[in-house]
Amino acid sequence: MSGPRDRGRLWAVIAFLVVLHFALRPRLGASQIAPDFLFLALMLYAIRSRPGSAALAGFIVGLVGDAMVPARIGAGALAHTVVGFLAAWGRAVFFPDNLFVNGVAIAVGVWARNAIQLLASGGGTGGLMEQLFVYAPLQALLTALTGAVVLVVFQRWLDIRLET
Amino acid sequence: MRSASDRSVFRRDNALFALCVVLSLVMLARPDWGGKVTGLIRGSVLRPFLSIQEWAESSRSARVALGQLRAERDSAVHAAQFLHSLRAENERLRALIGLGHRLKTEFIPADVLHQALPTDGRTLLLSAGAKDGVREFDVVVAPEGLLGVVQTVESGQSIAMTWAHPEFRASAFAQPGEVFGVVAPALQIAGTEHLLQLRGVAIRDSLPVGTLILTSGLGGVFPPGIPVGTVIGPASDETGWELVYLLRPAAFPGAGSQVLILRGGTPSGVSGAFRQERTP
Repeated sequence: MSGPRDRGRLWAVIAFLVVLHFALRPRLGASQIAPDFLFLALMLYAIRSRPGSAALAGFIVGLVGDAMVPARIGAGALAHTVVGFLAAWGRAVFFPDNLFVNGVAIAVGVWARNAIQLLASGGGTGGLMEQLFVYAPLQALLTALTGAVVLVVFQRWLDIRLET
Repeated sequence: MRSASDRSVFRRDNALFALCVVLSLVMLARPDWGGKVTGLIRGSVLRPFLSIQEWAESSRSARVALGQLRAERDSAVHAAQFLHSLRAENERLRALIGLGHRLKTEFIPADVLHQALPTDGRTLLLSAGAKDGVREFDVVVAPEGLLGVVQTVESGQSIAMTWAHPEFRASAFAQPGEVFGVVAPALQIAGTEHLLQLRGVAIRDSLPVGTLILTSGLGGVFPPGIPVGTVIGPASDETGWELVYLLRPAAFPGAGSQVLILRGGTPSGVSGAFRQERTP
């Protein structure tokens, strides 16, 4: 994916996910486990970009998250930067155009993001273990399933040949 | 072997990553700087998106109300089977309205704009701001009791620090009795339940399980009489010069999508309003 038209399509999908994040996600309820469309948009961008650009995109998405939940400003930016950077490297090293692998990458990304953010934010009242091993995996799973649907629906726009 | 241009791109990637990490760490170390940046983002780029989310939250509430009408029209069994979450949301809305009637102090209703991040609940983004009359240190309550206090106010939104935030503190007392202490979040690693601590209880005092803890009004931020939680037992980290009790919170920040913001609570305006919503 390198032409301006392809980039335009990628940005259109990302814009669609951003709108879903603010317009659809609140209607789903269960905010702790509902899919994170903003993070999904970051992953779609990161696995198609240079690690530096992905890190910068992660930083911006994290900063936006910190603006909406300023419990510990900087924790979200740090978590998204690291995950965006690693996702871009991972794509270069081992991501094939396989739906399952893409789903696993998104799920691991969500879990890692939550883990880094929670650790950087300090202790919480609900128990770190519960957050890491109950809510984070559920959110990771739902975000990965949503990501799989987005990849299948927009596979031509995203210029990938998915294997199942 | 990498070419010179590859190495240059590689170095640029790593430099950009390092810069972003350093900026994040600076914001972690200096929350006042980060607060200014995130405030700017909320007031500019994010504003239209938060309006969309506010609209989505409002329409969800409307959908909940519609669901209740249908539930009343349809058979009770059908409603119980298929509209359980809508019923629960409606119960909560009704409780909030009931609380609003009993409060003698001025209040502002607001939607909670929940986010996807794991720290959501330590702070809450509320749909009411300065133009609605919200001010810093206004108290945020749910039908069940205390949620937190407004920390940041912007034109159309405000941010509340809830009791789940590590820096939250509130003066409280036990009812019945004259036992006073300071409520703080019980930070835990392996627990599975959101809990509070009542710290600073004198060694000579003891609190039975089930005792209701209310805000005392000391300090001037929280008006007296708002339920904070109920005692579930002594905490293990007693210091030797004070007793520490674990509390089950009265209200949970992640539970509902509507709250009330109390404006300049008066002592007589709040106590008693929560009587029917006490945690058993």
